Amino acid sequence: MSGILDILDVSVGYSWHKPLFEHINAQLDSGTVTGLLGPNGIGKSTLLKTIAGLLPPLKGSIRHGEGVKKNDFCAFVPSQPLRAVHFSVRDTVSTGRYRYTNWLGMEDREGKLIVESVLERAGIKHLADRNSASLSDGEYHRVAIARALVQDTPLILLDEPTAFLDIANKRSIGLLLRKLAQEEDKGILFSTHDLSLAMEHCDFFWIMTPERELHRGTPAVMKEQGIIDRLY
Amino acid sequence: MPLLLLLLMAADLFLGSVSLAPADVWSALWGNDALDVVYKIVWNFRFPKMVTALLAGMALSVCGVQMQTLFRNPLADPYVMGISSGGGLGVAFFVMGSSLFSIGQRSVPWLFDLGTAAFSWLGALAVMLLVMAASRRLKSNMSLLILGIMIGSAASALIGLIQYFSDAPALKSYMLWTMGSFGNVTGDRLLIMTALCLSGLLLSVYNIKDLNVLLMGEQYAQNLGISLSRVRNRIFLATTLLAGSVTAFCGPIGFIGIAVPHMARMLFRNANHRVMIPASALTGACVMILADIISQLPGTQSVLPVNTVAALMGIPVIIYVIFKNRAVDL
Repeated sequence: MSGILDILDVSVGYSWHKPLFEHINAQLDSGTVTGLLGPNGIGKSTLLKTIAGLLPPLKGSIRHGEGVKKNDFCAFVPSQPLRAVHFSVRDTVSTGRYRYTNWLGMEDREGKLIVESVLERAGIKHLADRNSASLSDGEYHRVAIARALVQDTPLILLDEPTAFLDIANKRSIGLLLRKLAQEEDKGILFSTHDLSLAMEHCDFFWIMTPERELHRGTPAVMKEQGIIDRLY
Repeated sequence: MPLLLLLLMAADLFLGSVSLAPADVWSALWGNDALDVVYKIVWNFRFPKMVTALLAGMALSVCGVQMQTLFRNPLADPYVMGISSGGGLGVAFFVMGSSLFSIGQRSVPWLFDLGTAAFSWLGALAVMLLVMAASRRLKSNMSLLILGIMIGSAASALIGLIQYFSDAPALKSYMLWTMGSFGNVTGDRLLIMTALCLSGLLLSVYNIKDLNVLLMGEQYAQNLGISLSRVRNRIFLATTLLAGSVTAFCGPIGFIGIAVPHMARMLFRNANHRVMIPASALTGACVMILADIISQLPGTQSVLPVNTVAALMGIPVIIYVIFKNRAVDL
């Protein structure tokens, strides 16, 4: 376990005049799963997008591991990943290897093996030749996670990965995230409103409260301090 | 499909508004004792026209694919960013201006034709440069799409104004240009158009990797470290080279750019641009050559505007796609 993300006094939002959330300080280690909790509109997605580099921080800085380039640092899975009609699952996952494929986006032999291995690990090998548009939401979320996995980044950010899924799919996504952290030493940070899922699978919580405070700690400590009860 | 294309190319050479015996056309093609008039019709008129239709079909279809992917909009086409209107505005300026400077069609025809093509290309290029400059400030492709439509509408409004103040012969020249024709692209003009279209097609092939990522959204592309403005500018450049050149030399030809990518998706069932770009080029070439054959009304003395024939062929495809899938998706 090593530090892969340092957030130093960061403010997030879309306007200098109206930051959504200010003075965020947090660290994240590899091999851990962290749940980002908070009420709707508090800025969870905005914080994730800011960490992913999709939005600039209004203030402060975000540091990542030494020697890791900005774009090689984290993979981001949106809450409703877009899918293309008549685009196979294998091709979809392969786009995540943008940095490694040739100018036409084609994989070499090693790349093909990596994609197949990720399809296997994400439990979607049997869907590899299916049209992405024909998959269920749960199946496609697994595809999006596999796509993030082939990006080969130390950190994976997920914005409400279980928002539209049934209980079985929620649980299976939770287990997959847990497995990626434990077996592949990935740092996982995901936003969610599902407290039971977060309690079951997270090592740490980041809780954004309506008072604009960010509380960090293990689920047990957060519960003990009554922060979870105040939130829900 | 390649076989169908070869058959259509042959049919385009053998059929036309002037009836020629197939044996005579065959002799002319191989240079075997053909009648001089047949040789001239085949090599000076039908062959360049067939090559022009082939290039125009490929160019517009490949442009359509790129625009539909970039904007994630199934109704986007090569002209969505105002290329056609920009080209039209350039031609309108030239046609009206030429009457002022006595460069009429009757006085110096070659200069008039070349000027029409050059001004059309410059108009399209000016619009595209404007859109590219705006794309540095606008982050969202949807905002850019709306801006492109607005620029196109502004150009159309200006064309309307110019038409209002123009005289009848200039207006007629302009209207003839808007109907589209493959018949005027011969000699040096065909060489220039071929070079521009091939450059645009090569650039489009180079865009394949980024287009595949863009199918899954701008956010995903950004997360992969792709510079959106750089990719957009590369796609716009390819579009200007392709659609701008077709518009300059053949006039604005609509619906092929929208309809053919949908046809290719239906036929090949693979949205990967490594398949879609060549598939659309092939399908577009077939459709455009077929439109050219139909527009010649073989066996009659009349010729229909190719723009009209292309639209009549493209519209049913869009309607069919809508009713078959209940929606048009990418």
